[in-house]
Amino acid sequence: MKRDPVVLIIVAMVVTAMLVFGYHMSRRDADPSAAGVGAMKGKAAPDFELKSLEGNTVHLSDYHGKAVLLNFWATYCGPCKVEMPWLVELQKQYGPDGLQIVGVAMDDASQDDIAKFAKDMGVNYPILVGKESVGDSYGGIQFLPATFYIGRDGKFIDRVFGLKGRSEIEDEVKTALSKN
Amino acid sequence: MLRSRFNWIAVAVLGLTVMSAAQDSPGKKVPSVTMAPVSVTDVTRGKANSVALHFRVGGGFHVNSNTPKSEFLIPTALKLEAPTDIVLGKVTYPDGQEMSFPFSPDEKLSVYTGDFAVSVSVRPLAHVLPGKYVFRGNLRYQACDNAACYPPKQLPVEFEVKVVKAPAAHKANPAQSPHAHS
Repeated sequence: MKRDPVVLIIVAMVVTAMLVFGYHMSRRDADPSAAGVGAMKGKAAPDFELKSLEGNTVHLSDYHGKAVLLNFWATYCGPCKVEMPWLVELQKQYGPDGLQIVGVAMDDASQDDIAKFAKDMGVNYPILVGKESVGDSYGGIQFLPATFYIGRDGKFIDRVFGLKGRSEIEDEVKTALSKN
Repeated sequence: MLRSRFNWIAVAVLGLTVMSAAQDSPGKKVPSVTMAPVSVTDVTRGKANSVALHFRVGGGFHVNSNTPKSEFLIPTALKLEAPTDIVLGKVTYPDGQEMSFPFSPDEKLSVYTGDFAVSVSVRPLAHVLPGKYVFRGNLRYQACDNAACYPPKQLPVEFEVKVVKAPAAHKANPAQSPHAHS
């Protein structure tokens, strides 16, 4: 069979275009409701009231003026455990520039177990005891980790579901810090 | 010529469909553990009987085995309620597969993927009336994929056993001494 070179070129172009498109889509967000990300961007992040592991009452609005990385996690979540040391480093590195990382434990484990886990991981940012209602106000936390980037003005910049690379998290942090 | 071009385009479209389907990201599918239907198992009154329950973990996901390697991981565990006068014995879980995952390539986890079976020991007391009895309970599991974890879930579990009488014991004639007869 003689192959028409024009058709071959067209097929190659279509395949390349689809690969590039697919790659960008898969990198953009792992969230099944990715369409909702755009809708949240620029909107005010819902305020919440949660208890910290130390028993203090914490509101999101307490961090107004800072760039907030709000990280929903759980002790049973392996991917969450992977990114925790990165978050510790980022808090050290960018804390002086106005970054505040806040962990929200969406866990069945006891507070003691959560505290032990956080201590073992060397966590240097506040860990709050999560509530499903807070997760719901953030669009529902169907799986972990789920990370929300909030600008100094208290508005959503982005949200990311599932484990991402350290450099991607750092890029998001830089973006959040750059927004006034 | 036109037909040849059409064939090429069809192949390209098919290839693209396969490629886009292969680009699974976390959260694109919901994890599922399902239980295979269990046929009614005959269990003998007064004896320990084993009932096998077969489960399947959805493709791309894993659940922790019954003995995960970290105290923080949630084990897969079966909880059952037995009908009155049927004693629920040991629940036997398979060994987990030692696997590492992209999120932590240096760490081996003990997990179930694909199909796994849990065996339940059931012993009806000697006075239980023969007939069918239902066991109900749930399988608690917590699933993850390569980049995300899902909250613990409970899968309803139900199976039926048929209690039957123990086969009549073979009555041997009393031993007689060869010297009994004179």
